[in-house]
Amino acid sequence: MREKEPKILAFLCNWCSYAGADLAGVSRIQYPPNVRVIRVPCSSRINPLFILKALQQGIDGVLVAGCHPGDCHYISGNYVARRKFAIIKSLLEYIGVEEDRVQFAWVSAAEGARFAQVIKKVTEKVRRLGPIEKLVKTRGI
Amino acid sequence: MQEVQRKIREKARNLLLAGSVDFVIGFEEGALLLRASPVFIHKEDDVEKLIWDSFCENNLAAYLTKIGNKRVAVVAKGCDSRSIVALIVEGQIKREQIVVIGIPCQGMIDRRRIEKEVEGEILEVKEKSDEILVKGDSFEKVFKKEDYLHPSCRTCKHHNPVISDILIGKEVKERAQVDEYAEVDEYEKKSVDERWDYFNKEVNKCIRCYACRQACPMCYCEECFVDNSYPRWIGKELNSSDLAVWHIIRAYHQAGRCVDCGNCERACPMEINLRFLTKKINKEVKNYFNFETGLDITVPPPLATFDVKDKQDFIDSGE
Amino acid sequence: MMKKISKEDMNRFIQSLLSDYTVYAPVNIDGIFSFKPITNFQGIDLNYQNSKKPPKEIFFPQSETMFEYEKGKVTSAEKVSRKRILLGIRPCDAKANLLLDNVFAGEDYQDVYYINKRENTIIIGLGCRRPLSTCFCTSFGGSPFSRDGLDILLIDIGNKYIVDVVTDKGKEILTDKFTEASEEEVKLAEKIKRETEKRIKSEVKIEGVKEKLDTMFESPFWDKLSERCLGCAVCSYLCPTCHCFDIADEAKDSQGRRIRNWDSCMFPLFTLQTSGHNPRPTDKERMRQRVMHKFNYFIENYKRAACIGCGRCILNCPVNIDIRKVLKEILTN
Repeated sequence: MREKEPKILAFLCNWCSYAGADLAGVSRIQYPPNVRVIRVPCSSRINPLFILKALQQGIDGVLVAGCHPGDCHYISGNYVARRKFAIIKSLLEYIGVEEDRVQFAWVSAAEGARFAQVIKKVTEKVRRLGPIEKLVKTRGI
Repeated sequence: MQEVQRKIREKARNLLLAGSVDFVIGFEEGALLLRASPVFIHKEDDVEKLIWDSFCENNLAAYLTKIGNKRVAVVAKGCDSRSIVALIVEGQIKREQIVVIGIPCQGMIDRRRIEKEVEGEILEVKEKSDEILVKGDSFEKVFKKEDYLHPSCRTCKHHNPVISDILIGKEVKERAQVDEYAEVDEYEKKSVDERWDYFNKEVNKCIRCYACRQACPMCYCEECFVDNSYPRWIGKELNSSDLAVWHIIRAYHQAGRCVDCGNCERACPMEINLRFLTKKINKEVKNYFNFETGLDITVPPPLATFDVKDKQDFIDSGE
Repeated sequence: MMKKISKEDMNRFIQSLLSDYTVYAPVNIDGIFSFKPITNFQGIDLNYQNSKKPPKEIFFPQSETMFEYEKGKVTSAEKVSRKRILLGIRPCDAKANLLLDNVFAGEDYQDVYYINKRENTIIIGLGCRRPLSTCFCTSFGGSPFSRDGLDILLIDIGNKYIVDVVTDKGKEILTDKFTEASEEEVKLAEKIKRETEKRIKSEVKIEGVKEKLDTMFESPFWDKLSERCLGCAVCSYLCPTCHCFDIADEAKDSQGRRIRNWDSCMFPLFTLQTSGHNPRPTDKERMRQRVMHKFNYFIENYKRAACIGCGRCILNCPVNIDIRKVLKEILTN
């Protein structure tokens, strides 16, 4: 039987990472099709509940990507977001959710090739973990 | 302790007589042994109800977000005073509304542990300066206070109130050498699955009474995320997944706000180890943002601000 | 009918029940007792005062699926698949189930989920030899050895149990290991009963409380009482007679479930209306509701207070509110 393909959810900020994904697309750069994208105005739009909800529903890995520090369209959104991410990331690891289930990256609008690289890396790491079991809501949803 | 109690009553009476506060929040004798109970004193005649002993475990700051525009005096231990600072910093109460009756705290007694160490029901309790004497039908036992403090008191580094308008009792020596994150460090060493199993076991004890939330001074949200119905963030059911999400986010929402008073854990009827989560949050807040809650009225909450040089070792930045 | 059985035989008896019944019995998890389905008699721990969570959850689970659906096909979950034995329940909690019957199996309303579980469960109670100072079952017409609401009552007399067979339902499951109790043994059981009952010192006066409450709806008493209340649901979730619930759907695509979960009048959400209006906006109204429901409305409806004196709310309240004191204060108000 073929191994089940991991499902990955990517939250991309509108101004950098989403544009980076777009650039990867128009430049015809190949990257794994495992990723589903949700566009958000800014990485600071991410409430850790979004991440947990995704894992609860059986998403195998979550990527949150935003502008590089200093490049935020809203000046400081990603700086504030970074603080939230640091806490939720370490808490999830602490309680025993595998480190690579939730990943973070900075990708600019000019980094189409890098976006593809990030997705490749994320997909590989999640594939290595296998399907998610922890946190998944098994009955009915 | 008797002296502290006498002074609390005296100060409370003076404040009420002078009309400088609408009421005083303190402790009265509990209905149960080994317990004290929060009490609201409105009239100077009632000040005799106020007590001070080793069972005044509740964090009274939890009541302050409900006082509206009243002026209130509150009996505050080290941890209570830190919560008061945190609430002021977050704009939930005004400094001038609160008269802090600060009391250096020696740590409060872990009643559950004492109850577990005797066979049968405790029917009589006597408190001495450093011992607790308990008696039952068929036993009599002496407990050394220092060995039976609440877990949160054992790692406490702020026994003395951080702010106070009236200070009662002598300042106590802080135990600077205590390693407050030792348990967290130990836990981090376990394997990822061991950690998950323990976490899962603990949260599955939860009955969703939300006593942890209600007891916490910092859980003052008008509507908690768990009560939101649109969007409904998490299910209402007792299932492992929803329970896990509840406990993860409850702890996460404490980032930069928890003073580790242990009020959540003591309120929990199922005796869930809740502090093992918030303690981790506190450790990371210290590690990443060099912040400790409730120590300085002028420092903003860490998650409401940032530093361009914040550590980002966990983010793939392409470098 | 008084029988007896040795403790070893009792263990074997429990083990034999497992093939035909799901057996719920007290289990000790990290020092907290609760009633759980067991797979082996060794999982039972009868060395308990009472369970933390009341056994009402056997008939009225905290979360209960009412039906499931998938692509238009609906499966009801009202019937239990297996007969059940509830073992080791205290007489106070058994009495609480009788109170719940008024609500879920009364004249006005028949709750199929509750009734089905109730009808398919045989209740074996264990007389209480360790009442606490917070116990006041005798004030509500109960006793540590009350037979009300039980099919069988066990009385621990040391190395064996005296078995008081209350109903035919209880009689049916007995095996030949249950032998006739001798006169001395019955006498010993009687003596234990009397002595234990005497140890319940806590007394609550309930007469007149309802009438008093009739006049107290607008009383400032509630302001005072609710001041220290945190607004959690420890008292209601651990109460063996509280029975409010909320219904929710869990759905995804074309499949889903309808679930009912315990709810508590101590939560603001309990009465929050779609408009945003909340008729019980503060702890004061909510606290009043809880006391009124137990000691006024319930008496109005069913001629009995919705309290059996187990003392769980007293023992577990985070701020040490004592219902005995509250009732006393109501009478003297």
